[in-house]
Amino acid sequence: MSRALLLAGHGSHLNADSSAPVYAHAARLRERGMFDEVRIAFWKEEPSLSRALDGCDADEITVVPVFMSAGYFTNEVIPREMGLNGRKCCIRGKTVRYTAPVGGHPSLARVVVQRALEAGATGDEALAVLGHGTERHRQSEANVYQQSEFVRALGAFPEVLTVFLDQQPGMMDVFDLTARAEVVVVPLFIADGWHAGETIPEGLGDLREDGRRLHYAGAVGTHPSVADVILELAAEAAAW
Amino acid sequence: MVKREPYAFGQLRIEFDVQTPVVHGPAATGEERRIEAREDALREWVRDDALGRYRPLPTARTMRPGWYVRCEPGFSLDDALEVIYPLAVRHQRMLAEGTLRLVSLQRVFDRQSGRYRAAGKLSAAGREAARRVLCNRCVKVPLWDGETAGSKDIPCPEPCSLMLSLCREAALWEEAPPAPAPIDPSVAWAAFDEPGNEIRETYLRERSAPANEVGLLR
Repeated sequence: MSRALLLAGHGSHLNADSSAPVYAHAARLRERGMFDEVRIAFWKEEPSLSRALDGCDADEITVVPVFMSAGYFTNEVIPREMGLNGRKCCIRGKTVRYTAPVGGHPSLARVVVQRALEAGATGDEALAVLGHGTERHRQSEANVYQQSEFVRALGAFPEVLTVFLDQQPGMMDVFDLTARAEVVVVPLFIADGWHAGETIPEGLGDLREDGRRLHYAGAVGTHPSVADVILELAAEAAAW
Repeated sequence: MVKREPYAFGQLRIEFDVQTPVVHGPAATGEERRIEAREDALREWVRDDALGRYRPLPTARTMRPGWYVRCEPGFSLDDALEVIYPLAVRHQRMLAEGTLRLVSLQRVFDRQSGRYRAAGKLSAAGREAARRVLCNRCVKVPLWDGETAGSKDIPCPEPCSLMLSLCREAALWEEAPPAPAPIDPSVAWAAFDEPGNEIRETYLRERSAPANEVGLLR
């Protein structure tokens, strides 16, 4: 029985770097040789989600959404475009398993902590998990809070906060949420794109408070260890 | 040893140095640049056009000219073609085997939700113009629109996300027609909502032109 791993990403019509983390994780996973095929597909790039299964020869395909939140794309767009009905289904003679998104897995919390330490944190700071958030889909918010809980459970930082780009509590209020002198902000984003690479560091760069310091980490989704999270999701799905 | 004949594949030309495949980009004057036979290096090279603009549609006829890649052991011709034109070889083979599923533009519209649901409101004339303007800029043959492909053509079995995006914008333009603007090459290739975008302006010109002029633009 041959096995394929298919990473499903958003992609972009306008930003060339948006899909880079998906390609990078796929390359890492190919090197490990645990699957007969490691493929990629995107909503807004080629190969498209709707034709992704055309590219898979394997009998068993595990689709892992490289998204930070469960929500519109993971609940509606990916299943619809790929013709998936349920977390395990049969499509044209192939068994297709569809996992939860990378961002919802407890093991991603370790990557959040790694990102914070790489940004210069020592473990004495408050760690702020920064999600996109949107007033339109509450599940997106729930996902970020849940990931903060996973980080808190690791006990690597004395205080774990949750802030958002597009809803309250906003990232610009981060110093109001803690009395600690130093805060490390870790963006729960897939790519260092427009938000995680530009608007957020620019916004936080304007945040000043006497005697206090803010560290800003790279996007969680670009960390090489995300490949391990993908493998955990795939391993869990194999038991279904 | 049988000498393998060169052939064209989209905008590419595939030649063989003895048995080693060499993929050439579109012709250019001067010496060709050699691109490393690595997936990431090749992807980065074909990602942008000659003006440095991102190419979100890999099969768009905007590939920069003057380069080649030698397919070394460990990086086969199929590997290179999959990076340059994802699924093209696979779809060619599926078409030959009679297993290529075709999906119409209407079916793509019907399954949309969210911001792309509006695309389904585009008129028949608008859909035809969108297909003409976008697909004429692509190396694939749109089988989904009833065209037929030869064995060497790259078949397109289903409208792409860029077609969907263009149809959405075009549906909005039918409700509130925008003023045409001169084409501005600095505007992103797929920024259809931005005045000066080449595809947007060509579409708007086609839709405002008398029928006989549209025929000339085909």
